Amino acid sequence: MAKVKVATVWLEACSGCHMSFLDIDEFIIDVSKLVEFRRSPITDIKTFTPVDVGIVEGSVGNEEEKEIIEELRHNCKILMAWGDCACFGGVCAMRNTFNKEDVLRRAYIETPSTYNGKIPVSPGVPALLDKVYPANQIVKVDCYVPGCPPEPEAIKYGLTELLAGRIPVVPSNIMRFD
Amino acid sequence: MSEITLNINGKQCKGKQGDSVLDVCVANSIDLPTLCHYKGLTDVGACRMCLVEIEKERNFVPACTHPASDGQVVKTSSEKLEKYRRLILELMFTERNHLCAYCVDSGDCELQSLAYKYQMDNARYQYAWPTQVTDSSNPFIVMDHNRCILCGRCIRTCDEITGAHALDFGKRGWKTNVCADINQPLGESSCISCGGCFQACPTGAIFSKASAYRGKPVECTTVESTCAICGVGCDIKALVKNNRLVRIDSPDMTKPRGLLCEMGRFEPLYDSAERVTTPLNRNSKGQLASCSYEEAFEIIAKKFGASDSVAGLASGKASSEALKALADLMDKLGSKLVDTLDGDDCRTVSQGIARFDSKAGLDMEAKLEDILTADCIVVIGAHPTKSHPVIGSYIMRAASKNKAQLIVLDPLRNPFTFRASVWLKPPEGKKELTVKALGKAILDHGLPKAAGDKSKFSADFKEVDVKKAGKDLGIDVHDITRAGQLLAESKNSIIIYGSGILEYKDADLVATILNLAALTSEKPSVISLKRYGNSRGAWQLGLGNPRGPVASDLAKGKAKGLYLLLADDLTESQALTDSIKGVEFTVVQASYLSPATAKADIVLPSLLWTESKGSYTTLDGINKKTSPLVKAPADIKTDADTLKEVARHLKK
Repeated sequence: MAKVKVATVWLEACSGCHMSFLDIDEFIIDVSKLVEFRRSPITDIKTFTPVDVGIVEGSVGNEEEKEIIEELRHNCKILMAWGDCACFGGVCAMRNTFNKEDVLRRAYIETPSTYNGKIPVSPGVPALLDKVYPANQIVKVDCYVPGCPPEPEAIKYGLTELLAGRIPVVPSNIMRFD
Repeated sequence: MSEITLNINGKQCKGKQGDSVLDVCVANSIDLPTLCHYKGLTDVGACRMCLVEIEKERNFVPACTHPASDGQVVKTSSEKLEKYRRLILELMFTERNHLCAYCVDSGDCELQSLAYKYQMDNARYQYAWPTQVTDSSNPFIVMDHNRCILCGRCIRTCDEITGAHALDFGKRGWKTNVCADINQPLGESSCISCGGCFQACPTGAIFSKASAYRGKPVECTTVESTCAICGVGCDIKALVKNNRLVRIDSPDMTKPRGLLCEMGRFEPLYDSAERVTTPLNRNSKGQLASCSYEEAFEIIAKKFGASDSVAGLASGKASSEALKALADLMDKLGSKLVDTLDGDDCRTVSQGIARFDSKAGLDMEAKLEDILTADCIVVIGAHPTKSHPVIGSYIMRAASKNKAQLIVLDPLRNPFTFRASVWLKPPEGKKELTVKALGKAILDHGLPKAAGDKSKFSADFKEVDVKKAGKDLGIDVHDITRAGQLLAESKNSIIIYGSGILEYKDADLVATILNLAALTSEKPSVISLKRYGNSRGAWQLGLGNPRGPVASDLAKGKAKGLYLLLADDLTESQALTDSIKGVEFTVVQASYLSPATAKADIVLPSLLWTESKGSYTTLDGINKKTSPLVKAPADIKTDADTLKEVARHLKK
């Protein structure tokens, strides 16, 4: 059987979800037998090719992240969201109760350790979106594994179900939001 | 009440007329998700989680507010219902900023548990991300509106259980928020910090500062005990992790003595006074130095053995076991100089009762629960919201729920005065005349015939001229006559008096108050507020010296030795430290270092009520027991054991 092609991306998040993925112990050997990683922060491949499963960790908070998730969606058949940031907005969404300008001013100018700070305007630095969005508010998401980070057990469940050809819904007993 | 039968999920379920559909479900162990429902509070149907399908009803109805009726056919679960419940959860999560990863209540949150139950792994709606404030102005409680689902449990607890009604909804529609008073910071509002709101809060919207991030309930052990701080004796349920108190809750806020107050909920969590951890002995340099129990006992035995007069003084904070052991020790020493720190209160109350009726003892006093059923409450010289906050809550509940008439007789404004039907403000030192004028006003108004012959009790009042008294007191005569009328017309009155009366040490005044109570009811219903958690226990053991204050004997140098049992009492009193001055050899048994221990020759350590097993008698005479919640910081004997060891070491 041909290997299932997978691409994972790490957007606005701490990479804890990918860490949790690496935390699935010996199951990772089974996964590697069945799955081929086409792109992931672990392999450091940056280009997209069409895959069966796309996995997104992190929320969408700037232009670059929006572009990446849109490109991933375009290139994958099934999109799975990992972690609270991708599912609900998570810690990154804390900035949503302030407006963008205040957040930038606070971060680049007002913090006590900043001297002569400036808000970066270089075209090389992606511009912030007005808000931080969970993945499903930007593109269609097919399944979710919430948690901050998700339990390795939940990540394992999600992958097992997908590999079995089913769309996973994490059972209550292993679902966590923290 | 007649029995009704409902068909719930195809099962025949019995209920009572007047039950809600939810009540019947609960009684028949049928699981139904709820958020705004809280045992003992009025149901409001705010959260819509308990929606059920009832045959012949046009819409889904919330089970908590829908009356159950005979023959109803109810379905608590269907594909559509489950879909709706998940939808409601998604709406709640998107309406405010519910981000579990950084919420204090994660893992102990009813909203989160329901989201897990309904496998809510995402929300389909646009998030509102409202800007909400976090109000941490109260010294103990934080209100984080970001996590609020507007279920109103805090509001109903504050109103229906605590009786404070400091919280309510403010603004309308989308802008609705829980607010204190007229939208003031919680710390500046009329909130009495009883903590009922955060116990009732299903999410992390209201939480206790001292408990936040100290441990989730699943990581804690639970110990049930009794609060021994004041004489109410509330039941408590303590959560403990790594021998540290995480939280003190009420096991059931709706039960009598289930309500807690600021003292019971927070005092043990904020305990920072310096402890006595080993026996201390005053060395040749005049400094207190650590020594062994054995050394301390030997020195005490030697000194007390050589002394012909040893006095014993006890705080009403000590357990009954410790107090009994002190009484036994004094017996062994052949000393009659035993007293409690609130001995004056004991003498005033007991003699007052004896003057009213020689046969009646302390048991003639009413029970605290009688406040809740009273139709007229008179508060004389007492500030229960400060000294016994739960009694304050009972009074406010009776006033707001039962529409009990409240008469306050106090020169100072207190939380009751604005709820009072009549507030009589006697000038300094004239409380007695005010009480007498009130009694006369009752007689003037006239009592119903059914009341019987009251001449026995009216002697104190007959001579008073209400008009003249009003003039002398500077109180509007109409206020006095109105108060008299309210009392005369009441069927079930109760009088509560406290330190504002006891400070006069006037037993006649207490007798007058009892007579006043006897005028309007067959059995006078009176409660005196006693100062310490186990005051009544100490009084009942006869520790309150009937002959007069032992402290003054000490000041006169009548005793050479003194055994002062302070236990965890930290109330500093000048009179106490003064009385020690005239004594040659003083033993202080205390939990904390204090001005009293600084003057002692021997200090013996004492456990806190949170660390020991003990019996306490509430101010209305109920025996309660404490269980150790945490271990003491050192190997400390119980108070009773320490005292028994002292007695054993005496040669006689």
